[in-house]
Formats: sequence, structure tokens, C-alpha cells
Amino acid sequence: MSEFIVKKDVKNLHHEGEKLISTHCCYCGMQCGMHIRVNEKTGAIAGVEPRYDWPVTLGKMCPKGVTAYQTIDHEERITKPLIKKDGQFVEASWEEALDLIEKNYKRLQADYGKDALSVFGGVSMTNEKCYLVGKYARVGLGTRFVDYNGRFCMSSAAGGFMKTLGTDRGSTLPWPELEHTDCFFMSGTNTAECHPTTIQWLWKARDKGAKMIVADPRETPTARIADVHLDLKAGTDSALANGMMHLLIREGYVDHEYVSERCNNYEDLKKSVEPFTPAYTAEITGVSEEKILKAAHIYGQSPRSVVMFARGVEQQAKGVDNVTLYTSMALLRGQIGKFAAGVATFTGQGNGQGGREHGQKSDALPGYRKIDNPEHVKYVSSVWGIEPEEMPKAGVSAYEMFDEIQRGNIRSMHVICSNPAVSAPNNEYIWDGFNKLDFMVVSDFFLSETAEFADVVLPVTSWAEDEGTTTNLEGRVIRIRKVKDPIGESQPDWEIINRITERMGKKEHFGYENVQQIFDEFRLATKGGKADYYGITYDRIDNEEGVFWPCPSEDHPGTPTMFKEKFDTPDGKANLPSVPWHEPDEVPTDEYPVTLTTGRVVFHYLSGTQTRRISFLNEKCPEPFVEMHPEMASQYNLSDGDEVKLTTKRSSMKLDVKLTKAIRSDHVFVPYHWGKELSVNLLTNPALDPTSRMPEFKVCAVKIEKV
Amino acid sequence: MERLERSFYSKASMYSFVVVLILFFLLWIATGQFSKMKWASSGYIISSFIFFIGITVRICAWLIRPATHQVMKRSLKNLRKKSRKKRNVRAMLKTAVDNIILQKFIFKRGWYRGLQHFFIAWGCLLSLAITFGLVFNWFYFDLVDPQTYQIIVLSIPTITMHPDGFLAFISYNALNFSSIMLLVGLIMAISRRINNHDTKVTQRAEFDLFPLYLLLAVTVSGLLLTLSYKFLGGFMHSPMALVHQATVVIFLVYFPFGKLFHLPIRPMATSVPMNYWEEEGADTRPCKKCGDTYSNDDQIADVKEILGQQAFDLQMEDGTYLSDYCPACRRRIRVMTHLNMDAPIQGAGEPVMTNNGIHMPGFGRERDESFYNKKETEES
Amino acid sequence: MNKVMYLEFERCIGCRACQAACRECGDHDGKERNYVEYVDFMESRQTYPMMCMQCTDPACARVCPANAIQITEEGVVLSAMEEKCIGCRNCTFGCPFGIPKFDFEENKMYKCDMCYDRTQHDISPMCASVCPSDAIRFIDFEEMQELRRRRTQLNLVEGKKPTEQDKWQYVPEFFGVYSD
Repeated sequence: MSEFIVKKDVKNLHHEGEKLISTHCCYCGMQCGMHIRVNEKTGAIAGVEPRYDWPVTLGKMCPKGVTAYQTIDHEERITKPLIKKDGQFVEASWEEALDLIEKNYKRLQADYGKDALSVFGGVSMTNEKCYLVGKYARVGLGTRFVDYNGRFCMSSAAGGFMKTLGTDRGSTLPWPELEHTDCFFMSGTNTAECHPTTIQWLWKARDKGAKMIVADPRETPTARIADVHLDLKAGTDSALANGMMHLLIREGYVDHEYVSERCNNYEDLKKSVEPFTPAYTAEITGVSEEKILKAAHIYGQSPRSVVMFARGVEQQAKGVDNVTLYTSMALLRGQIGKFAAGVATFTGQGNGQGGREHGQKSDALPGYRKIDNPEHVKYVSSVWGIEPEEMPKAGVSAYEMFDEIQRGNIRSMHVICSNPAVSAPNNEYIWDGFNKLDFMVVSDFFLSETAEFADVVLPVTSWAEDEGTTTNLEGRVIRIRKVKDPIGESQPDWEIINRITERMGKKEHFGYENVQQIFDEFRLATKGGKADYYGITYDRIDNEEGVFWPCPSEDHPGTPTMFKEKFDTPDGKANLPSVPWHEPDEVPTDEYPVTLTTGRVVFHYLSGTQTRRISFLNEKCPEPFVEMHPEMASQYNLSDGDEVKLTTKRSSMKLDVKLTKAIRSDHVFVPYHWGKELSVNLLTNPALDPTSRMPEFKVCAVKIEKV
Repeated sequence: MERLERSFYSKASMYSFVVVLILFFLLWIATGQFSKMKWASSGYIISSFIFFIGITVRICAWLIRPATHQVMKRSLKNLRKKSRKKRNVRAMLKTAVDNIILQKFIFKRGWYRGLQHFFIAWGCLLSLAITFGLVFNWFYFDLVDPQTYQIIVLSIPTITMHPDGFLAFISYNALNFSSIMLLVGLIMAISRRINNHDTKVTQRAEFDLFPLYLLLAVTVSGLLLTLSYKFLGGFMHSPMALVHQATVVIFLVYFPFGKLFHLPIRPMATSVPMNYWEEEGADTRPCKKCGDTYSNDDQIADVKEILGQQAFDLQMEDGTYLSDYCPACRRRIRVMTHLNMDAPIQGAGEPVMTNNGIHMPGFGRERDESFYNKKETEES
Repeated sequence: MNKVMYLEFERCIGCRACQAACRECGDHDGKERNYVEYVDFMESRQTYPMMCMQCTDPACARVCPANAIQITEEGVVLSAMEEKCIGCRNCTFGCPFGIPKFDFEENKMYKCDMCYDRTQHDISPMCASVCPSDAIRFIDFEEMQELRRRRTQLNLVEGKKPTEQDKWQYVPEFFGVYSD
């Protein structure tokens, strides 16, 4: 199969002496298609070429995507293993680094038991690698403590979908169908900045008359183009959704046939939304009654609608409830499982969808199997070649791992493809945890803020130096190609896992020679699970423009639209929730009178380890700021560009003010892509959702002082 | 003067006539009333005449352009002003040194390009000077006695020197040195044109490549001549001489009409610091809208004048001109006009409504309410 | 070739992908030639993309004393020829739309050339290729005409009734004609 995939009649610019390699962007869940330009003689990366014929994005890219190739040969790449000696990193050989890891791992496990080690994974890497991280922790190291940064990203969506629909696939419909939708109800998603290439589909639909309802405390570039902008207070999503459903029921917009056939608990839901009259909803959410009414009418009258949400809804202490409620809005209208209709969450990380299905989660095994289900454990153990009794029990969630560090249960951590020193809430607690560890290993390709805490840093390949598959936000499994050979002595994560597990005496369970081997084992491991990849092969991905899971056999066409016939719950029916109103964990008080919410800017990705190193992106947005309504600013005698100090119960930081009327006058907003003293996660609240263990990044109470 | 001018078709033909006269006069002196004419090099002489006529005509044509004319007019005016004398001299010196002699700005585009251009430019200038000198017999070497050479300039004897001395070596081989410089520069330039894909985007073979290859032909054939009589005992000397003469003729005739014409107009760069730098490197004229400085009064006056002469009507309703605004404000003016938002309504506490229903531009134009209720009536 | 650049300012989401992409284009020397700016950040997050209109009779070329700005046979107005440009910046003041940029260090003007290496082969320029919201498009002249007609019809569907006085407010603008 050729490395350059293009449809007939699609013209790309081929420079002389260069070849194009088709792959996908390394950043968010859109996984925009692109071709990388490579010099044929030297193999050096020359640039990027749009992939006009990739059906999801049609060649479109955001500025991160356009500049993504610049990370590959970046001068700050780590090219040799680093070992910390007297507080300074010195370059070392692989043997030295592995010796040190082996020595410490064996010593710690001998002294404190198997669970003294832990693995902190990430999902900005291929399915193959995400799958291996779970196996590495449980088989290679034999520890129960494994979790991943998806806890800070999408675990609430996963929890909510599991609860309501039985399976968590980010989008129940393929993206190109959005063009035919009549109404988008979008909550807590700044699509224009976080998933920019989706906007083209929204505009295509709007060109045909589709309407948009956007719920967001800020008038984001997404909300700016909405027909109704529901400017709700952060953390009041459950009230808004309940209020919307109250109106759907009151105004007779419920699809009763669908609800009675395919949903449980309708009566309970009806009772629970009863109190959420427009007046009551308006009181809680701060949105005017007329806007709520208008939104309900537009949404209720649209024959084909999609409810979409993202971190704004999920990163709350009641994220799972929010997701179940918004999903129920789609259920009441009978939308899920139909053409151009359904429910979707915008996966934040590149492989957030695939990565969360395959056992990096503390309680999950590949294919969305559960570690507390003996049948599931038995099957996966057989694939892995271990006895079911050897399978460690469930561990704890990402943030709770730091509690275990404080308790002295976890003595060592291997962080793979993640930067919790920036991305975890209540940063100072995290940093303290890293300092308490006896031994810490980080695999990364830039020296991230987390890597700076490590005892050993292992250089890994970037996305373009290894092949594999990822699953984009639709649930489409796609192929990432190797564009060039690894820089310096860097190695792919799977090779590193091979070598560590070999030293831990587990060679017979690992010892992979290539990615294809891992993929085949991983397909087998997911076979029969909810997220079934068994029928997906590399060739099929190339020929069919990606394959949607579940795909149980090689002659199965894949599943672009989910839940057409039934849901994945035991009885095949969706479970409607009943959720009363709960305040967010922190509400404004006299001492901390303002609500702080956090989010992204279009130029940076997650903790910014990659994007802050790209000159174009860093020029456009070099440091964080605090966005504030001029009305609030005048209360504190602030003008544009002034420096302020933000303080929460946890910590404080200093930022420059940016004034705009496009934000609620009782909220401030800070983007989170910076580390150390510029990290807004110094301030954020680690209150966890009871089900998904997702911290409440999006709401906390803050005090503002002029500096 | 006016009567003189009227006896010609145009200024260009008048100046050409004068230039030809001067050249003849110089030739007449230098060759001792044509007694020392080297008829074998008549090809060189004729093409040199064409060269000078061509340059004259091209410069005249170029000065007629309103933009050039305006700049030259202001330059001459400023040159005459006593009060600006210091500034004028400084501007000329700065341009001559930075811009023409050292070509600093090209080195800023990369040392490779800088070096390449430096070699070609100075190789070319030196060779041209020597060629014209020899062709018109403006200077030549005379053997006074077997131990002494003398340089004769315009038939006037000047310095003498020992034939094996350093000075003689330099002056005898000057043309060889300049052509080696040229050769290095040309090879650099041609290999850049071959290897750098970016240069190919807007490159035109006849415009960008032809002069390079032509210069290469001149240089190589010239160097081969030297090689022939110095080391090969005159092997193939006369056919080579013919080839060299042919390439030089083509080069001289081509020069005024192709890419190389940028050489004689480069001195106009002086007019920038001379006319438009009220303060060095800083703008002095504030934008009518935002107040940021973006230019200087004289230059904007010139731009307005040039545009006016060419019937560009860029005056706005309030009497200001677009060039009164800084580029950023001009962009904003254009967008506002397109969006019909010349005077945006300021929302009090709310953001300004920019959702206009995608279908037409403008602030605050929402979809009609009846649009939202449409489906209801259709469904019922 | 009969293509136009079609800009819809209000679609712009301010991501500046067009600027990042502009730097990628051949001969652009890693410098973007287009603009994305806020109308007024205090009032709204509305941004707009801005690029050269490729005038048939460009003011920038007319005010250039060195005659350095050339127009290709397809109608693309190129950056000032480096060998001729004397660095006077007249073009940046003469352009009614504020497009040409000037590099003081290297003493040269540079501007949008519609990715000449792409468009001359009928491939969409980088900015239009990547624009995630289709605020910048590179489309056939006929498609543009069709779009404008459809827009006008949709306005009627949406209950907006243009009158003789304000009908022009209901038709989006297009420009940057790349044809003759």
C-alpha cells in the first residue's frame, strides 16, 4: 500500500525532489488528515500539504495542524536518555538508564510490594501504545496503579454515555452527516477554538438553514454565530438541561413513540424535571427566561438535531450527571441512532476515544472490559498469557494516585505521554507528590514540566516517527504513518516497554518486533468487547477511509451510526436519569466572590509542551491572560493590560487583564496551556465527580486583587 | 534650451544625441584623432555606443513614470535647499556605502545571497569599467623603455611602473580578477536557482536566467582567452576572441533592457533617506483614525499626488484620503464597509451583536422571528 | 482558469490558520502575507481575514517609483522585485486596502501572491485550503455567482425582506478575481 493516498482528480502540489506521506495531525480528536512533505534524498521533513480528500476535514487545518510538522525535527527534542545527578540532567546511554530503572523498580517492589510502582498514561498516542500501557502496568510491572490523563479530559463523557446508552462512543454519528442537521445544541464547547475544523460542517448546515444554540459563559467565537447564546453560569449545566427537558415535555416536543420503545425511566425523569420551570432555571443558570424558551422551541421543533458538548460540561464534579442529562435531551427528541442526528462529545486529545477504550483506565481492560468482571478478566488474561489470578485489582483514578503518593503507597511513577505537572488540578499538590516519589521515570520527546521532576527521562519518538492507528472523535479508526526515522537515540514507547519488561523478567509477554504484532494482539484483546476492533486491519483503514468500531469481523462494514436498533445496556434500552439540582463544589463567597473558569485558546494544545515550542503559535499567544468583562474591571479599577492577582483557596497567581464584553460579568476566564507559575491549574479545584473521578476544572471561586 | 529640445522628437532622443557626441569626443581625444583606433575591436565600440544610447533612453522612459517623476522632483527640490545640505550629504553617503558599495541589505537576506550578489555586482562593475576604458582607448599601457611601463589616460601620460612589479601585475590582470569574482558569484547564483525551489515560483527564464547564462558565457570565454595566450601558447586564440567579442556584444546590447538595468537605477535609493526620513528609522505622521505614526507628511503628499495624476479616486466622503490612514485602519475601513458597519452600534453591557444570520453582513441584523416559527406551521 | 477568492468576513473564527499556512507556501520565506484582525476585541470576538485583492490596475504598482511591482499574465500582483525595490514604502501607503508589508531589515516589500506556485497549477492557495470555517474560499466564478443567488433566496426564506434601498446589504462581497 502506497504511503501517499489520494483520490482521483484531487490535485496536490508536489515539489520536485519531495514525496508526500498521508497521515493525520498529532493534536486534537479531529485528527485532521494531512500529507507531510519529505525530502526524498535526505528524508528530512519539508512541510505540510493539505489532504483535500480526507472526508472528515477536507484538507482544513487549524494553526496547530499547519505547524504540527515543526515538532518533529525541533531543536529541543530529547535525543538521549537523561539521568538526574545532583539535581542536573546528564545524558546517558540506554543501558545506564535501563539499569537504573531495573535496579530501582526491583528494589521498591521488594521493599514495598508490587503496587509500589505506578504508571500514568496518556492518550495522545496510538491505540497500540495506549493498549500496551495497561498491559505494561498490569503484566510487566504487576501493579494495580495505572491510570491516564483522560481522567482530566473525557472520563465524564465516558461515564455518562455508559450509564445512559451502554457504550461510550464519542459521537453516535459520522461527522460528514452534520451537514444535514437542522439544529445544533452545543454546550460547554468552544468548537471554533478547540476543534476548528468542525466549524466547516456547522456552516454547511447553517447554509441550509440549520440553527445553533450554544451554552457557554463566554461569547466564544462559536457562541458568536449562534442563534441563541445561553450565557449560563459555569457549573449550572444540569439545571439548564433539566430546564430544557421541562420545556420539551411541557411544549409537547417529546417523541413518545421512541421514548416508550427505547428508553427506561421516562416517568421518573418527568418528575425530576418538573421543578425546572423557565423561571427556576433562569434563576439558577443566570440565562434569561426568553432565551431558554426560544432555545427550547428551536430545539424542540427541529426534525434532526445533534446535542454536542465538551469539557465545559464534563470537567465538573457532576460531569457524568451533566452528560446523562444532555444525552437525554437527544433521547426525548428521539434523535439517537438516526441520520444526521444524535449526540456527540468533542474528544479533546488526539486519541482520546481510542485511548480510553483499551485498558489504561484503573478499572478497565481492552475493548471496554471491566476489571471487576471475572469473565472479562479471564478473557484478557488468556490473550495476555497470564493466570486470571495474576491480574491486579482495580487501581485509583489519576488525581487519586497523588493521594496514594502522599500516603506512601505509591513510591514510583512512570509517566508516559502526559504532563500532569501542568494539566492536573491543584498543581502544588501534584508537584509535592512528584517530589515525594522515591523514583520517577518520564517518557517524553520534549522536556516537559513533569519531566523536570523525573529521575530518568527516556526519549521517545514523536507521532511522525512511528506508525499505528488512532480513533478520532467520531469513532473512526484511522492510520498514522511513519514519516521519518526516529531522531537521535529516541525510541518508540513500545520498544521502551519491551526493554523495561525484559529486565523485569516478563519478556515472554512482550518482546514485540513491530507495530503490526501489537495491533494484531490488541485486536484479539478487544474481540467480543464493546469496543470491538477485531475486524479492522491496516489495509481496510486505507481502503475505506477509516473504519468505525464496533467492527467484530473482517467482513463487518463497521458502525458509522451507533444504536440504530438498540442500545448497549443489558435490556437494550437507554436509561434516562433523574438528577436534582446540586451546586458546584465551590460557589462564590464574600471572600472569593468571582467564578473562575478555564479553557483553551486556538493556538495551544493541552499543557502546551509542544505548541509553546512552535514559534508561530507562541508568537500569537505567548502567555496566559485573564479575560474579564469591563463591568467587573471597573469594580476593581482595572484597565486593559493591568496585572491582577487571582487567589483561590489553593494558591494564587498573577496575570494580565484582557477586557471584553464577550464574557459574563461575574466570570473570569484563564487559558491553561502554561506551566509553573503561569499554570492556572494552581488555582483549580480538585473536587472529583463521584463516578468518573473527573476534577472540577471549570468552576472555582476566586478573589481578584489589583497588583 | 527649449528650442534645442524642440528640434528633437523627444527628450530621450536629445539626451541620446548628447551622449553620443560626448562619447565621440572622448574617443577622438583618446585615440589621438582616431589615429590609434583598433579596428579589430569595432564590434566592441559599436555595441558600447548602443549600450549608452540604450541606458539613456531607458532612464528617460523611466523618469516619465508619474511615481518616479514625483520622487525625482522632490529629490531635486531638496537637493537645492541649503537648509537640508547636511541631511542630503548624509543620505547620499549612507546610501552609497551601505546600499551600493557594501550592499548590506542583501547580506541581511542571507550571507550566501549577499556574497553572491557582491561578487557579481563588483565583478560586473569592474569589468565594465575596464572594458569601456580599453575599448574607447581611454587608457592603455605604453612601453616607455624595456624596464618601464606607463599608463596613458585620455592620451595623457600618467604613472610609470616596472613591468614585473606588483602594480603592473594588478593592473594587467585586473580584468582576470574581476572575471574570477564574476565566475564565483555566477556559479553561486546559478546553483541557488537550481537547488532552491522557492526561487522557481515566480522566476522567468528569459528574465532571471538569461542574464546569468549570458554573463557566464562572457566570463568563461574571457577567462579562456587568458588561459589560451598565457598557458597554451595561443591555442585557439582567434576563434575564442571572436566568441568572446560576440558574447560581449550581446551582453552590452542586452544590458539596458533586461534585469541588469536595476544597476543604474539603484542610486535613486538615496531619495528615501533624503526625502522621507524626518527622523532616522522612525515615522512621524499620525494616522487620522488611531493616531499611530505610520509615515511622514512629504511621502503621503507625494503618494496622493501620484495617485491623483493617474486618476485614482481614493477620497472618502469626509474629504480624507485613504492614504491618511495607517494600513491597519485602511483594512478595517474596508471590512466595515463590506459589513455595512461604518458606525457600529455599541452594545451597553453586552457584546456587539455580530451574528447577523450568516446570510448578510452587518452588526445587529438577526434572523427574523418568523423564521424560527416556520417549522411549527409546516408540521401542524 | 476562472477562479475567485471568496471571503466571508463574518465566518472568520480568528484561528489564524491562514497565516500559519501562508508561511508554508513556496517563496513566502516563512513570512505571512495575509492578516487576521479583531474588529474590536472589547466589543466582540469578531475577526476578519484580509488579503490582497489582486487589482487589475493596482495602486501599489502605480505609486512605485522603481516600477518594481509586476503583474503576471493570470492577473496576480506580485511582491516588489527584490532587485528593483528601493525601499521607499510608497506601495504600503498607496494601497487603498493596507495590504503590502515591508521588511526594513532586508529592504523589501512582500505581499500576497495567491500562492502563485499553487494557483498557477489550479491548486487552491494555502490560506483557502486550510481555512477551517470556509471564510476564505478559492472557487469557480460560476460557483461564486451561484452562492450569491442562493444567499439572496435564503434571506427571503428567513423572513428578511430587502428593499430597493438596502438590497446590497443582503449580498455578501467577493473579490480577488483570479481571471480575466
